[in-house]
Amino acid sequence: MPGETAASRNLASCHLCLKLADASLHQCPRCGEDLHLRKSNSLQRTLALLVTASILYIPANILPIMVTDQFGTSTDSTILGGVVLLIDMGSIPIAAVIFIASVMVPMGKLIALYYLCWSVGAGRPASPRQRTIMYRGAELIGKWSMVDVFVVAILVALVHLTGLLVILPGAAAVAFAGVVMVTMVAAESFDPRIIWDQQEDVDE
Amino acid sequence: MPSENDANLVACPSCDLLYDVGDMHHGEKASCSRCGCFLTRVRDDGFAKMQSYSIAGLICLVIGCSFPFLSFESSGIESIMTLPQTAQQLYDQGRPDLSFLVAAFIIFIPGAVLFLLLVLSTCMLRQKFYQWMIPVTRLVFHMQNWAMVEVFFIGVLVSLVKIGHMATVVMGISFWGYGAFSLLFISAVGCLDRLQYWNELDQLARLQHAR
Repeated sequence: MPGETAASRNLASCHLCLKLADASLHQCPRCGEDLHLRKSNSLQRTLALLVTASILYIPANILPIMVTDQFGTSTDSTILGGVVLLIDMGSIPIAAVIFIASVMVPMGKLIALYYLCWSVGAGRPASPRQRTIMYRGAELIGKWSMVDVFVVAILVALVHLTGLLVILPGAAAVAFAGVVMVTMVAAESFDPRIIWDQQEDVDE
Repeated sequence: MPSENDANLVACPSCDLLYDVGDMHHGEKASCSRCGCFLTRVRDDGFAKMQSYSIAGLICLVIGCSFPFLSFESSGIESIMTLPQTAQQLYDQGRPDLSFLVAAFIIFIPGAVLFLLLVLSTCMLRQKFYQWMIPVTRLVFHMQNWAMVEVFFIGVLVSLVKIGHMATVVMGISFWGYGAFSLLFISAVGCLDRLQYWNELDQLARLQHAR
């Protein structure tokens, strides 16, 4: 039973407290948040943030994420370099975990959001349910790529044997944290309801 | 037509379809039939649970911050790490930006969320309404996305695996304290149901007004 949407009754749903209020109001009467029928300029904002994240993704992968200083000789390691090193050492399962968390998840999230923006922009009405699930997935895995940054923080604090073995944070860690945060905001500024608005236009 | 009973209406946040969720009982959960998005779950003991999880969680956070977290030993030299040091060391190594982010994501934001949940659930249980509860609740909802307690804990496990072969790593009291904190944090936030919470707050405000 496809029922009515809130928008069809000119009601705006507050994104923070879920209160339904007249769409002509600009503030939620219950919690005071900004009220919109749909998030404003959702596509443009999401795309702008995605481009920012993609640019940040370059230094995040090229620069060293951490520097290991062993007996005075320092070795830089990039994200991919770390994965390759683990494979060489024979720890395939750990290499897989790190590869998934720090390469596949952020890439997948970027690609998924780009695809969603493109599909909405191009007006493709196909399988809105699947695209909604895709969006929710991208939103859910958002903060999990921060694992890498935390690993650097922990190793820097823990491995601190002066003169023997010291681990230092690299510039890529900041860039990578930036990628994760910007994509989190990008996912938040995307409004999944516009996927369904197009579907309704087709149905009518 | 559910037009007379607009108070019980809710729009699916991800596809905007309207639902009447008035007649729900303890333990029931509502999801959108069109897109599958979670709508709400009714729990009569939500606030009592939220309060107890927050108290326990805050105690565990204090434990997590005050004792050795991990210690690392190689060739007879030992280094001990505490939780605040993860941020401190980054700061000392010339990365104040990263240090600030890590401290916020793993200590300050989750700690603040848990503290505010404790305050709010206590007010709710005592049936007291104050005007400041509205902005404070908004703050909690804005902050909760940025608490990365569970992500950090996975990070700890990954680091253990990464350096486990290089030297002896021993887990300290804080390791277990923080582990318990992350479980309690997830449970406390899990008790916070957007729709039920705001409806309850509405009701309290009305009660207070009538008095």
